[in-house]
Amino acid sequence: MVLAFDLTPVIVLLPVLSFVIALFAGDYLPWGGAEVGIAATTGALGLSLWVALTLAIGSGPYHQTVYTWASGLDAVNLTFGVLIDPLSSMMLIIVSLVALLIHIFSLGYMNDEGEDGIPRYYAGLGLFSASMLGFVVADNLLMAFMFFELVGLCSYLLIGFWFRESGPSSAAKKAFLVTRFGDYFFLLGVVAVFATFGTAMFVGESSFPALAEAAINTDQVAVNTFGFSPQSWFTILGLLVLGGVIGKSAQFPLHTWLPDAMEGPTPVSALIHAATMVAAGVYLVARMYGFYAISPDALAIIAFVGGFTALFAASMGVVKREIKQVLAYSTISQYGYMMLGLGGGGYVAATFHLMTHAFFKALLFLGAGSVIIAMHHTEDMWEMGGLKRKLPVTYYTFLAGSLALSGIIPFAGFWSKDEVLFEALLHGLDGNTILLAAYAMGLLAVFLTGFYTFRMVFLTFHGKPRTDAARSPHTIRWNMKLPLVVLGILAATVGLLNMTPVAELTGLQIEFIHQWLKHGFAGLTTEHYEVLLHDYAGYGVAELHLSPLLPGAVSLGLALSGALAARHLYSVPEPVEHTAKLGRAKTVLYNNYYQDEYQVWLATGLTRSVSRISNKFDQGIIDGLVNAISSVSLFIGSRMRRIQTGAVNDYAVLLTLGLTALLLAVGLVGGWFV
Amino acid sequence: MTTRPRLNIGTNLVAGLGAFALFVVMALTILNASLPEVQGFPEGANVTASIGYAIFNLSLGSVPGESFLAAFIIIAITLDVALDGAVHLARRQRSEKQQTILSDGGKRLKSVVLDEEDE
Amino acid sequence: MVPPQYYLLLSAALFCIGLFGILTRQNALLFLMSVELMLNAANINLVAFSLVWGNITGQTFGLFTMALAAAEVAIGIGIVLVLYRNFDDVDVTNATTMRW
Repeated sequence: MVLAFDLTPVIVLLPVLSFVIALFAGDYLPWGGAEVGIAATTGALGLSLWVALTLAIGSGPYHQTVYTWASGLDAVNLTFGVLIDPLSSMMLIIVSLVALLIHIFSLGYMNDEGEDGIPRYYAGLGLFSASMLGFVVADNLLMAFMFFELVGLCSYLLIGFWFRESGPSSAAKKAFLVTRFGDYFFLLGVVAVFATFGTAMFVGESSFPALAEAAINTDQVAVNTFGFSPQSWFTILGLLVLGGVIGKSAQFPLHTWLPDAMEGPTPVSALIHAATMVAAGVYLVARMYGFYAISPDALAIIAFVGGFTALFAASMGVVKREIKQVLAYSTISQYGYMMLGLGGGGYVAATFHLMTHAFFKALLFLGAGSVIIAMHHTEDMWEMGGLKRKLPVTYYTFLAGSLALSGIIPFAGFWSKDEVLFEALLHGLDGNTILLAAYAMGLLAVFLTGFYTFRMVFLTFHGKPRTDAARSPHTIRWNMKLPLVVLGILAATVGLLNMTPVAELTGLQIEFIHQWLKHGFAGLTTEHYEVLLHDYAGYGVAELHLSPLLPGAVSLGLALSGALAARHLYSVPEPVEHTAKLGRAKTVLYNNYYQDEYQVWLATGLTRSVSRISNKFDQGIIDGLVNAISSVSLFIGSRMRRIQTGAVNDYAVLLTLGLTALLLAVGLVGGWFV
Repeated sequence: MTTRPRLNIGTNLVAGLGAFALFVVMALTILNASLPEVQGFPEGANVTASIGYAIFNLSLGSVPGESFLAAFIIIAITLDVALDGAVHLARRQRSEKQQTILSDGGKRLKSVVLDEEDE
Repeated sequence: MVPPQYYLLLSAALFCIGLFGILTRQNALLFLMSVELMLNAANINLVAFSLVWGNITGQTFGLFTMALAAAEVAIGIGIVLVLYRNFDDVDVTNATTMRW
């Protein structure tokens, strides 16, 4: 058998090993566990590259059930398995590369700053890497759910790394609870998938997307749809799983945890809340795309939520003071784009944007991390300024990341974001007004993205230094500069992998991501998805031929105008807070549209009153019933015990009466007295 | 002023009616029971001699019966044990240390255990 | 021959008289006397049936019962003595510490 594929479980197990070693022996290692983490992620990266190469040279995609942990008799089988196809191998490389670079960066961010509890940190990173890699190779929905939860747990552990302060521990709880709320619906969806299809496999002829397609196609319904029509039931299932996706990928309304998650260390924010964990939701939708592609309602909802979130979060990012907060809202906004891409029928565009976003957002977070270290742990941009001369490597890599984020040609973000918007427009013009509305919101968000990104760049790096810390920043070492440089190069160049407009223009076959995702298992390729989208969702039915140049030019123009507006306002020696001119609007934006307060009200005002009533019911009626029974017993007991008077005569009386009664009874029954 | 003598029954005369009820039940049972024919002892049999022979497992008596040697020995032991037990119960406790029976209702023990003042 | 029912009735009457004594007597010594009465009632029963079956076992067993009664009284008197020491009185209705 192919060795690379047989070793796939090792990719997941290597970081587990580093987790165990860092946890138990990290105190004895010189770098506190970083060495094993770096070794494990390097190994994982090497294996992922090897697996991708093996796929590239033509050894087919791989699916293997590794462990059956519950085999049912006439019931479902619960298994762990490995699914290696182009999508998962691409994601494996992304995750392991970013994890490796974060480990190296943490040497500078955590070890050099002399933080406490370093082994716990690297153990958390190791466990997270293992969980995310496990999630990527999952071959069935239940395994994906389990690793989804594990990833959420690691997020909680790492956000709350400095748990002795109230901020991080509270933020960790909030992250866990909000994502858990979404995961509740995901769990319902998993159970419903099992109940409906009897299997939760992503791949194979008996995978649930294939069964769903067959159920809609033919009229012989072989699956149990609980009285609904197959189409509506599958939409319901898709929406249930979407609950978990919305929570994990921080879409509206479950986005409130991500800005607070910035309380964790910056490398954690870069790894988890920018590049990988929040990608888990989008990856899940991409993995099950065959199931979503057959329900146009679910696709429309995904696209609308994505487009709305993109605009919503971008509007909030415009007024933030702290550099990590701007990046957090940017992350929410960009994942909105990916959801827009998936909902709008641009599977390749969304996965491409996932990849480019992982690189440039991790880069931006790491750049912010090095700025924070240089500024002695200040995060407020209004206390920075003029850092571009003092921190050149950080500046140029951060600039590369910003250009990628805003979507300026030829950086990565332009190609991917542009393709997302193009696909949404193309399929929206078929008469799908929801998609068109989502496209409009996404387009508006492009302007805001350019604006807030460059506002961030100019406030931090340009102008005159505004405080002493900015005048003499801390130097940063090679261990922070190396990941920045690597990611900077990637942010600049990875977009060239899939330049769709150029391919259309020149006719060259340079859309490598398209071609990469064309192969794979029969139900999981882009051609199959296009067929599904065409037949069931009606995307591409009108066969419009729109050139990608004009929409691309429009979005590029919007991005540039946003950037220029920011430059006009903030690229001055002493910038002022122009956002104050927005007046009341600024207060609303700064308070995040009061979403946090609203969710707290939902919990305390609404839920708590209901739970008080049910608590009263539980204590009063159910407990009361039990207590009443026991009090009856106690009462009877307290009366009965008075028979024990202690005087022998009374006992003798009882004996005598008992004997008499017994003799009488036996005599009457036995006929002694007749 | 004297009063006529009263029968000293003690308390709870009513409880004694239970005994009367038991007598009534037993009497009814006995009167309705069909007892076998009385066989009686053979004419001129020496009953006491037969008892003596039965005690010592000697079958020389004119009235038939079982052998009671083992019971005889055991009852001898039992009487001996009872005698010793009675003596032990009646013994006045010599000193603090050699007390085997709490003859004061445990008052001394309680005061020692709870560290109260000795009476 | 005297019908055995008379003997049995006598035995039952004696037993119930003894039982009456147990149920009503306060003095511990009188209590013991009543117990003796009950034992002797059983003895009468044994002798009566020895006559009915023509077997000497009943009477022999009666002897043993008497010996046992004597042993029991010896111990009983000892217990009454200890009771007196603990409660300063031979009143059985006074010794009620083992109660609820």
